[in-house]
Amino acid sequence: MTLTSMRSIRRKLTVIIMLTSTIAVLLTCLGFVISDVVSLRKDLAGDLSTLAEIVGVNVVEELTFGDRQGAVGDMSALKAKPSIVAAGVYTERGELFAQYEPNASISVPRVLPADGFYNNGELLELVHAIRLGHRRIGTLYIASDARERNLRLMQYGEIGAGIVLGSLLLAFVLSSILQRDISQPIVELAHVTRLVSHHKNYTVRASPRRLSGGDEIDDLMIGFNGMLTEIEQRDKRLLVAKDVAERAAEVNAQLARESALILNSSSDGIIGVDLNSEPTFINQSAEQMLGRTLAELRGASIHELIHHTRADGTPWPGSDCPLGAAVLRGELFRVPSDIFWRADGSSFPVEYSVTPMFDDEGRRHGAVFTFRDVTERQAVDRLKGEFVSTVSHELRTPLTSIRGALGLLSSGLLGPIAEKGQRMLEIAVSNTDRLVRLINDILDLERIGSGKTELSRGHVDARAAMVQAFEGVLSMADEAGVQLAIEPASAELLGDTDRIVQTLTNLLGNAIKFSPPHTTVTVSGAVHGTDFVFCVSDQGRGIPEEKLGAIFERFSQVDASDSRDKGGSGLGLAICQSIVEAHGGRIWAEPNHPAGSRFQFTIPLALAAIGEASTKGKESQHAA
Amino acid sequence: MPRNHVLLVVDDEDDIREVAGLSLDLTEGWTILTANGGAAGMELAASSHPDAILLDVMMPDWDGPRTLRALQGRDATESIPVIFLTAKVQESDRQRFMQMGVRGIIAKPFDPLTLGQQIKNLLSWN
Repeated sequence: MTLTSMRSIRRKLTVIIMLTSTIAVLLTCLGFVISDVVSLRKDLAGDLSTLAEIVGVNVVEELTFGDRQGAVGDMSALKAKPSIVAAGVYTERGELFAQYEPNASISVPRVLPADGFYNNGELLELVHAIRLGHRRIGTLYIASDARERNLRLMQYGEIGAGIVLGSLLLAFVLSSILQRDISQPIVELAHVTRLVSHHKNYTVRASPRRLSGGDEIDDLMIGFNGMLTEIEQRDKRLLVAKDVAERAAEVNAQLARESALILNSSSDGIIGVDLNSEPTFINQSAEQMLGRTLAELRGASIHELIHHTRADGTPWPGSDCPLGAAVLRGELFRVPSDIFWRADGSSFPVEYSVTPMFDDEGRRHGAVFTFRDVTERQAVDRLKGEFVSTVSHELRTPLTSIRGALGLLSSGLLGPIAEKGQRMLEIAVSNTDRLVRLINDILDLERIGSGKTELSRGHVDARAAMVQAFEGVLSMADEAGVQLAIEPASAELLGDTDRIVQTLTNLLGNAIKFSPPHTTVTVSGAVHGTDFVFCVSDQGRGIPEEKLGAIFERFSQVDASDSRDKGGSGLGLAICQSIVEAHGGRIWAEPNHPAGSRFQFTIPLALAAIGEASTKGKESQHAA
Repeated sequence: MPRNHVLLVVDDEDDIREVAGLSLDLTEGWTILTANGGAAGMELAASSHPDAILLDVMMPDWDGPRTLRALQGRDATESIPVIFLTAKVQESDRQRFMQMGVRGIIAKPFDPLTLGQQIKNLLSWN
């Protein structure tokens, strides 16, 4: 098991401490042993040298004179040193001269090695030169028993081992106690870390022993706790932010669901398009009406998809269609009558509007098409039209007989009639005429209002229309004693001349009817932007402010007695409004200061005239 | 004294035939023939050669235009001027009728005192 493979820091620390102390104790013991061995050996060698010196001096004489017995005697003095186990004197030529061998098992060698010490197992041997003055006269061999020394070495070893074991035990006990100081906080830190990482519990904290002035582990814990606090706070903020985001997403989803519900609950078709007029949204009604889903509509312009062919079956190039341009310009666009095409090639009549969409910065980013299938409404309108037409005819037939009979009676051609009877017949005739006008107006209104009567659109000379209407009411004005004035203006309009004259005549007739004698009724006109504005003003009794808006409603009269006194059907202004609106214009009434009323209506200028008018406008701007 | 014209009035309404006939008789002194339908009017026109025919447009079976085509299709009657008498006042109808070859159109209800004058104006009988 290596150090790094150990899982517990406690064991690691113990092992490190014990290893370190073991090595230290071992090295110390080894040092002692080595130094002791060296000094022991030195002592032993020194003793042996001194002994050899003494013996060598003693045997010089015997060697010189060949006295072997004397040499042996000299050497026997070695008995005092029981550690000396063998000794020998050798001649100059190396022959054994005398020997001392107290122990039978050990004998001196026959041939000597060179001078010096020799460690030979249990023996320490010394070969020593014997000199007389400077001349070498022989050699001394002396052997000492080294077992004593070895015994001491062994004793040293045992003591050393005891010390090492004792130290290890002590180290183990001490490390076990002391390492807690280091390992315990680290173990606790590890525990806290596990809690944090496994259980995502950021509320736990390590407990340093000292908050200041502690060791690095305390610093580590304090730092770790600081990081935990930081993480805990961020976690809380994150949770709050997540909660807020989730709630916002929920609210958004709810809004989206509601929007979708609202859009899908609409019986009108709704299609959202981008600036290229390509669909980006479609509600259920539109899907059902068109027989297409959003996926099938994507990638092409709304015109190419559902508006590609005119009602008469001729192709309608996108470049001729005003829709794309209106979407791009961000214009509100209303079309009362058109047709849309389904995927299967069938078509249906619609009315629709295009509403521009703007983002928060006010930039255009598309438009919403809202359309309605008017098949049923057209059918109802047709039925209504047929009904009105039939009723009118059926009413007119008996009226023809009544009118004719009354006319003949009141003419006196059938014989004289009493004065009161004559008066009654006149009332009957005038009311029959009024009934006929009423029927005619109802029929007229129905036809214009339903678009059943196509306007014969063409270029209209505004001046000529004004003059024609003016001349048409001259005799009526004469009879009423009302002055007529005309302030004609020239312009080329797009519309139905007869209908425009009818409108002007109607307004002029009304003005004359409601003007006292010696006042003036004026018809005038002026170009205004892309429109021409006709104006009929009088100096009569005027219209109360609160009735100005309602005056164009059917059977509306300023005064309840007017329909009787003035002989109107109550539909004249409603007819005027229908005609003007069929032209794409608008009609309104306002007080004519200081007295009277002013009726105005707009008819669009012909395209060529618009170009001219805008050029003129620019010129006048330059002039200003 | 104006020449004594003979006029045929064709209308399915008895009262209208009577009122129109009396009006023209009283105001102009014309001789009035009447028929209550297109087919009968056609036969009467062929047999009695009136100077003009006042023809109602909306009638059951043979309506005005059909009767007109029948009159125009017969040698005996093709030269007799026809005036439509109609409750329809639409401009588009007026143009359509004129293209059929009628001499004029008089709207119902008519003024009995001026009916004869209207007819004379349309036929240039003054």
